[in-house]
Order: sequence, then C-alpha cells, then structure tokens
Amino acid sequence: MSLIKLRNNALDNLTSFEGSASLGDMVLVSSATASSSASIEFDLGSYKEYKFFFVNMHPATDNVDLTFNFSTDNGSNYNVTKTSTFFFAFHNEANTATALNYEANSDLAQSTAFQPLTKSGIGNANDESASGFLHIFNPSSTTYVKHFIGRLNHYVDNNFTLDNFPAGYANTTSALTNIKFQMSSGNIDDGKILMFGLN
Amino acid sequence: MPHKIVNGQQVELTADEIAAIAAQEQAWNAGAFDRAMADLRQRRNQLLAETDYLALSDNTLSAEMTTYRQELRDITNGLTTVEEVNAVVFPTKPE
Repeated sequence: MSLIKLRNNALDNLTSFEGSASLGDMVLVSSATASSSASIEFDLGSYKEYKFFFVNMHPATDNVDLTFNFSTDNGSNYNVTKTSTFFFAFHNEANTATALNYEANSDLAQSTAFQPLTKSGIGNANDESASGFLHIFNPSSTTYVKHFIGRLNHYVDNNFTLDNFPAGYANTTSALTNIKFQMSSGNIDDGKILMFGLN
Repeated sequence: MPHKIVNGQQVELTADEIAAIAAQEQAWNAGAFDRAMADLRQRRNQLLAETDYLALSDNTLSAEMTTYRQELRDITNGLTTVEEVNAVVFPTKPE
C-alpha cells in the first residue's frame, strides 16, 4: 500500500513508520558520507536526469574546490571531454566587496580535466563548507552530448559567501557510466552527497 | 587508511590511485601563485571598472582619482609569492 499524502497534524500519535513514501518520479538512488575520503563515486544508470545534493562539503585542506568528472568505462578512467561555463557572485562579511563575474579559470574548453563546482576555495575552518546541487541530464544517451548544470554556495576562506554557477556538457555520445567527486587537493573531510534519479 | 567511497561503500585506494592523487596535489600546489594572482586581478579589475565612467573623454579625472587608478593598475607589480599576493592592501577610493 502506498502512502498518498501526509498531513502534519495527522502524525501526532505515530510511533513507527515502515515502508517508504514515494517521491513520485524522483528516487533516492544512493548517498555517501565522506570521512577523510579521497573521493566519492557513483554508478550512473538509465534515469533521464540525476540530481546530486551536496550537504556541507568540508575539505581537509584550506582553500580548495569541489570538482567532478565522468567515466565512460565503468570507472576505470575519469577523463571525459567537457566544455563548460562558470560565473559567480560574491559578497564579504565586511560588506566591502561584491561582484558578479565570469570565471575563466574555472571553465573548460574540450578538456578532460575535473570540472570545478566552486571557485576561490572552500575554507577548512570548522564552520566552513559548500552546499548545493548538480543536475546531469540523460547520461545514458548514445545520441546526445550530456548536459550538466550546477549551483553551489560556499564559504570562502577569507570570509566571503560565493554563489557558483557551473554548467556545460560532456562532449561524448558514449553513455556516461560513473561520476566522481573530489577536492582539487586533499581529502573530503566531511559532507554528504545524495543522488536522486528522475524518470 | 586512504580510501574512496563508491556507491556508499568505503574502498581502499590502490597504489596507482595514491600516486595519482599525489601528482594531482603537486600540480595544484604548483598553481597556487597563478590562482592567487588571477583572483587579485579579478578584484582589481572590478575596482577599476567601478570608476571607469569617471575616465570618459568628456570628464577630467581628479589627481587623486588618477593616482588611485594607477595604483590599482600597478598592484600586481613585483609580486612573486602567494604570501605577498594575499598581503596586498588595495588603495582607498577617493571621495
């Protein structure tokens, strides 16, 4: 039996809940919690869209960026050619600096390098991290290139909030089989990634 | 134990993966100065752009503004280390 609707005021006497509540066509496929981990990898399947949520991605090393790459050979190599754009806005705690800029150091032009999801570095102080999401569209397609759109906010190590807008495509008509997330240097000290599939 | 997480499961890194990570970190560290300079130029360019309208041909720049803008243009001169770049103090914009 599926649960169709939950009302806040109907749960007063609920002591246990078995089974799962459907999110419609959006399915939690996998999740991972980093603990001084070098990288986090997921298999990609046949969902039409994948959405990754990043919750408090905290680097071990100060001033590094969260990055990702794809594989087309079941994770043996993460080196898919990508072309992308990257722009951002920032504002500092002192209220003395703001900007909305294109970031030429974080875009890719037919490059197999890891795509940055943040720029200018995530701080590694105890209260600093990055959170946001990334969409991957139709990674199993063997007809089209594979588009991605990201949006993350992070705490820059010199007390700025930075709103990141990476987007682009993996320029291959081979199916993407895996995705890998890692910091530009050092481990992912802490943080959770949730992977949802959408039909 | 060096590890990665694959589909939610912890997996020990191979020797090749450890070597690849070491090479990646070496490359990242080698680019630190270039990244710091790029951020500095970006901030400098932003400050210059904020006063560009004062330098149009139908306006005469004050001496203070001329000095301010020249100091911004010269702000990258002589910098050779990340520490020097991070220690840069921007000039104060004239009233």
